[in-house]
Amino acid sequence: MKNLLNFFIKYGTWFIFFFYVILSCVILFTYNYYHSSIYFSSANKISASIYGTTSEISSYFHLKEINQSLQANNARLENEVLNLRHQLAEYQTLHSDSLLFDKDMQARYDYVAATVINNSIRHPKNYFSINRGYEDGIRPGQGVVDQNGVVGIINVAGPNTSRAISLLNETQRFSVKLKNSDFIGSLSWKGGDPAIAYMEEVPRHAKFHAGDTVVTSGYSLSFPADIPVGVVMNRIKGSDDNFFILKVRLNPDFKSLSTVRVIKDNFKESVDSLSKFDITEDNKR
Amino acid sequence: MTAKIGGYIVLFLCCVLAQVLIFNYITLFYVAIPVVFIYFIIRVPVNLSLPLLYTFAFLLGLTVDIFSDTPGVNALACVLIAALKSPIYYIYVGKDDRTQFLVPCVATLGLIDYCKYLLTFIGIYCFLEFTIEYFSFANVKDIVILTSASTAFTFVILLAIDCLIPVKT
Repeated sequence: MKNLLNFFIKYGTWFIFFFYVILSCVILFTYNYYHSSIYFSSANKISASIYGTTSEISSYFHLKEINQSLQANNARLENEVLNLRHQLAEYQTLHSDSLLFDKDMQARYDYVAATVINNSIRHPKNYFSINRGYEDGIRPGQGVVDQNGVVGIINVAGPNTSRAISLLNETQRFSVKLKNSDFIGSLSWKGGDPAIAYMEEVPRHAKFHAGDTVVTSGYSLSFPADIPVGVVMNRIKGSDDNFFILKVRLNPDFKSLSTVRVIKDNFKESVDSLSKFDITEDNKR
Repeated sequence: MTAKIGGYIVLFLCCVLAQVLIFNYITLFYVAIPVVFIYFIIRVPVNLSLPLLYTFAFLLGLTVDIFSDTPGVNALACVLIAALKSPIYYIYVGKDDRTQFLVPCVATLGLIDYCKYLLTFIGIYCFLEFTIEYFSFANVKDIVILTSASTAFTFVILLAIDCLIPVKT
């Protein structure tokens, strides 16, 4: 206490000086419109620049959440687009002069946004895991896409996590087509460069150009049609002279796979039951 | 001590009245504005206790501000120049036992030293005042012109006043 008192006595003159300076400044900035406006505009500039810098720094920490939210939004919008396309296709088959819009028509595809928690690209048979499981509606056989295109197919679904067969898996084949000409083929990865896959069984008469887009054919229950897969690079001579093999540069960057979407086909059960029905009928015969 | 304080108060009132009643209405060529009231700070002895000097300086500036409609400008400039009084004084006057108790004027310091002290003091004050008033270095040319002209004008007036006031050492 005594030291504190001594301190104040020793530096009392300075305290008085600063007291009067502050008091003068308060009077200056309070009662002079010009000075107060300059003070506030300068203070605003400084605080704005500080807040701007802080915001720039802190925004980096929120990128993950923002990305997830954007992915979820994207999934919802994609879902909407696909369902509208589906509805349009349905209506186009009906009488064009007596269209009745069925608002309750069931949407065929749903997307579930997920984060990749484990991924490999170095092995001949690569898999990746996601943080969504059967509690989120994930089932084996569902297709997985990221923002650039097809990345894999779910093969095991746990309660909260699932494992997917990566497109970079030599055993897995995907039904694809050339977007411009609709020629169907089978896409598979042969190891090596994770950005290169091969589209096989392309008919010899198929016309194509380097740079043509390869998309899903829609003939599997895993993927709707027209989801991008990659672009044609060139043709490779195959063992069968009746078919081409096309070298395809894959769209997704498998080295940095982070957020993906799992495609849920709501018609899958009915299509499966039809297949089972066919099999039963054949057995009866 | 009481008599001395009384004397300071009289000087204070004279300086304020001279400024607000006469010199606030004088401007030479629209650039030379006399700031005569700071004569009080110039004139008080260097050994006057600093808290008292700061208080007088603040009140002096504030009083002039009230009459000049420039709240805070002169008050801040006066407090700052009061803090610089001793350093300016000892630039031109040697620091010894005798000089500490002198009342700064022509009679005690001599014309040359006093003129230097006066000119430096007024120059710094004018610079502080106009800088605070403009509050922006975008008008640095105006600040320099006003400071130079006002310093010269005030210097002449204060030198004349100094010669009229008798000195009690």
